Amino acid sequence: MTPTPGLLEVDVLVIGAGMAGAMAALAARDAGATVAVASRAPGATALSSGAVGVAPDPTASPDEPLAWLRAPVEAARRLAARRPDHPYAAVGVAGLWRLGEALRFAARQLEPLLAPPLERPRLLATPAGNAVRAALCQRSMDAGDLLAVRGPLLVCGFAGHLAFDAALVAAGLARYTPRGGPEVGDAEVALPFDDPAARPHELARALEPPGAAERLGEALRIPAGALGAGAILLPPVLGLDPAARVPERIAAAAGMPVAETLSDVPSVPGLRLHAALEARLRVAGVARVTGEAAGAPAPGRAVEIGGTVVRAETWILASGRFVGGGIARRGALVEPALGLPVQAAEGREAGVHLARRPAASLTVRDRRAPQPLLSAGLRVDAALRPVDDRGRPVHPRLLAAGAVIGGHEQATDGSGLGVAILTGFLAGRAAARRGA
Amino acid sequence: MDYDVVIVGGGVNGTGTARDCAMRGLRVLLLEKADFGVGASGNSSGMIHGGIRYMLSDRRVTALACRDSGAIQRIAPHLLFRIPFIMPFTSRRDGATLRERAAFYATEVYVGTYDRYQPLKSGKPSTRLRADELYRLEPGLRPGLHGAVTLDEWGIDPYRLCALNAVAARGYGATLRTWTEVRQVLADGGRVRGVRWRDVLTGEEGEALAPVVFNAAGAWSPALARASGVDVPMRPGKGVHLTLDRRYSSYGVILTAVDGRQMFLMPHGSESIIGTTDDDYYGDPDDLEATNDEIEYLLEGAASLVPGVRRARITRAWCGLRTTVRAWGRYEDALSREHQLLDGAPDGAAGLLSIVGGKLASYRAQAQEATDRIERLLGRPVTPCRTHEVPLPGGDAVPDPAALARELPVAPPVAAGIVHRHGSRARDVLALVRDDPRLGLVVCRDAGLLAAEVVYCCRHEEVRRLQDLRRRCRLAVGGCGGLDCARLGAQLAGRTLSWSADRIRAELADLLDAGWRERRPVLDGVQLAQEELLRAAHGLVEVA
Amino acid sequence: MTFGAMAYLAYRAIVAHPLKRLLRQRGTGEARFRAAYETEGLAPTTEADRAIGLEAQACIACGLCETGCALAAADPAIRALGLHAAFRLYGRNPAELPLAAGALEACAGCTGCEALCPTGVPITRVVGALARRAHGARPGSPREPSPSPAARDP
Repeated sequence: MTPTPGLLEVDVLVIGAGMAGAMAALAARDAGATVAVASRAPGATALSSGAVGVAPDPTASPDEPLAWLRAPVEAARRLAARRPDHPYAAVGVAGLWRLGEALRFAARQLEPLLAPPLERPRLLATPAGNAVRAALCQRSMDAGDLLAVRGPLLVCGFAGHLAFDAALVAAGLARYTPRGGPEVGDAEVALPFDDPAARPHELARALEPPGAAERLGEALRIPAGALGAGAILLPPVLGLDPAARVPERIAAAAGMPVAETLSDVPSVPGLRLHAALEARLRVAGVARVTGEAAGAPAPGRAVEIGGTVVRAETWILASGRFVGGGIARRGALVEPALGLPVQAAEGREAGVHLARRPAASLTVRDRRAPQPLLSAGLRVDAALRPVDDRGRPVHPRLLAAGAVIGGHEQATDGSGLGVAILTGFLAGRAAARRGA
Repeated sequence: MDYDVVIVGGGVNGTGTARDCAMRGLRVLLLEKADFGVGASGNSSGMIHGGIRYMLSDRRVTALACRDSGAIQRIAPHLLFRIPFIMPFTSRRDGATLRERAAFYATEVYVGTYDRYQPLKSGKPSTRLRADELYRLEPGLRPGLHGAVTLDEWGIDPYRLCALNAVAARGYGATLRTWTEVRQVLADGGRVRGVRWRDVLTGEEGEALAPVVFNAAGAWSPALARASGVDVPMRPGKGVHLTLDRRYSSYGVILTAVDGRQMFLMPHGSESIIGTTDDDYYGDPDDLEATNDEIEYLLEGAASLVPGVRRARITRAWCGLRTTVRAWGRYEDALSREHQLLDGAPDGAAGLLSIVGGKLASYRAQAQEATDRIERLLGRPVTPCRTHEVPLPGGDAVPDPAALARELPVAPPVAAGIVHRHGSRARDVLALVRDDPRLGLVVCRDAGLLAAEVVYCCRHEEVRRLQDLRRRCRLAVGGCGGLDCARLGAQLAGRTLSWSADRIRAELADLLDAGWRERRPVLDGVQLAQEELLRAAHGLVEVA
Repeated sequence: MTFGAMAYLAYRAIVAHPLKRLLRQRGTGEARFRAAYETEGLAPTTEADRAIGLEAQACIACGLCETGCALAAADPAIRALGLHAAFRLYGRNPAELPLAAGALEACAGCTGCEALCPTGVPITRVVGALARRAHGARPGSPREPSPSPAARDP
């Protein structure tokens, strides 16, 4: 085939550069395929807590010791058994079997940023003082794992910064002490720079220059000594660039392990995750195009994206859900890029014929319950191909990964990035096989 | 006796009457089962209008209503904002028939007559617009209109109106108890002697003795009176409103719904409101939600004249129960909003006075009438009412936001919001920032809400639950649903009110629940993406 | 409707109203309407304003844009509220827009924010349009575009 000017010919085109898209691209590249990733802007991954949840444990009881927490892969299996519409169930037993492999692959790809996975989940604190389980986390969070802290945990806020309430976090975490969590204390230290209006990303940047992290570490010695702390938990602002090694430098100066909590929005750890994915895609030799696919695109056909014409035999749609724009509701639920059928669920019924139901009938009054509208998305077969209302693949070489697949919701089952990693990994590998 | 009067209900009738009674020296206890304004008052269209409709029956009512609207402007100038309205002239076919033209002229004359009362409330005179003028002033109207007549009214934040009346009453010695329900009206030999109450947050119970009980519980008042054997006849009407993310237009547009009722699309503060439905509702007043039919009815009506409104972002749908005096009318709309004071004496409950109906714009006059009656029931001479002369808290002056921003460390648009809500007391709010610079943090960058205002409201405005701040300072009410401000607001309120960590988390969940109930039926487009982000950020999953 | 009210309205329609139109009204209806409301910041919403509003309403307040705003990092006064707040907060209420003129006009139009927006808000264009409007709404200032780079953006 002779290359046309301005034409990018690859084996696999991935639409979306969040966790699912990046994993798909890296898994395909790793298996020898040539890959292009098209994206528009950062999405839900950059706005995530910065750690990877996999599944809640539907069989856990509220009083059992924390050490009994089931392994992430086992929790995902139990979830799949209970929720036939969940992507963990859709990929089949053989697909879910590879979750551990997918998590290890993700940790390796994002090596300097992520800590290696453990058999058990890590228990990490949120800024509201809740503990959530994570299958993967950033190194900056590792020392805050409630099951790994040796000795009391000091939660420390910064004087003058109201956004992080150390006392609230500490009192929240103390609820887990009877179940085997650490003793918890709280304190406040002054930052080496005074600016109460600083935004999280600005605080993170301000801790990066030489001396700043060290001075903070020094200041932490006093309250940590008073508590006899074994580790220190700080607000999630420990540097934007992992290469600045802010948590490590604070720890060295404080003389003990230091970690940050998970983040809500705006999320410095989420920004770090986004940057690490971008950097990894560059290093892996994945071609990048910026923009949206124009025309009536389909795999195998040339498509123009942001001025570049791309042709690939296999496409992976990893465009996210509502924040990412992969799924939208304009009176009815739609998949805007390719016009694929979107599945919704109402009561016990689920299917693409429900996509036009009013919002009120696709939600329930209890905010904390699973919301069918918020978990709407594509339906896929075991090979991750989007299917129509009769269960037939829409296109043999079109795959989907991540939140664009329906049947799960990050907010209520915490499985968002876990699903992104598993389906991204499986789709990438499958696409590379076909492309070869 | 502990009090002269126990007032049940913290809507505009209850709080307005509490202020009047307290100003006249009565010992007042105000009990509200939730928070100020949560019922019909806060969920009204938020207007202080002059009663143009009464010109047909009794022009004196219009004059009174306009005079009272003027009085509210004098006592709370910071809370009010002008809303010019446009009433477009529509015809069934392309050209207007003679009869339709006559109707246009009749409307013009009618509104022109209303102009005679406008000076009473600092209103501007109406104008007749030709079609080309109309389209220049309000682009986006559907083609084929024949001009319009304009009309001047005032908007208000109804929640703050209730809260400020309550706070003012407290200043005159009244005791306020929100989140306290009345379990029973106590009576002896055909006379009430007080109430038995229960604090719904702490479970604490008690008795408050008073010779007069004023039942201003709105949609809940029939149930309260029935327990004392008194019948309070009332026709409850459910009114649904939609809020748009921003001001869609600078002027209100009077619309005609599919069934011929009048509706409106109007700018209100920094948002726009589409309203309203009016349907009989005999369900549980505590279980009120906008239905899909009602939302579509409103959207259809608005889009019939302003088609582009279908593309606007709807942030929430909210509803309340108006209580109208019961009468057999063909349309709910034709029911009079007039109020009625019902004495329980003929039913064997002397001293129980109930109010039914009324409108937000005339609350002050209603309160005055009720207070006169209460004084008579107490066997006292009726003393002069001064509620139209004495400013509400912060109403004595409206500082210039730009000047405040030069003086104190705050951005001018933020200062403007605080001035709008707090009037002259904006200085007290901002003084908190001078004393503690941390409180200069903008907790909601969507609404320009300052940490200092959250703390000020918690300290001085009877905040007992986090969700009360939705009504005091619009915490987590905007389109983003509390993405930035909900947790931060909970932390600030928790510190100020000494809540435990568990209480803070529970209050935060309750605040988010309240927002979810209003947003869920209108989740579409960007608002759905917003909800996804909000839910993920407030991580619903924790370790079991 | 009472007979009295009817008779009064008839009198208004036949005598008083035509007289009022004849004797007391100056200028067109539009001119009188504008004179009454524009001084209070209630100028009409134009099609262009509304188009900008519809684009700005796609903001989900995620804050990603502020990490790419050079100005927000440089100017503490703007940072307190964030220049990106311009299209969320300032854009809503034209009556308060003049208060934000300083912050809006400080935007250099670098577009660093725009590439970061998940929902595709054309931030630079929104800020530019609001700056022009704020400038025009200021009493005594000319209604033409300001010479700042942001304002030149179409």
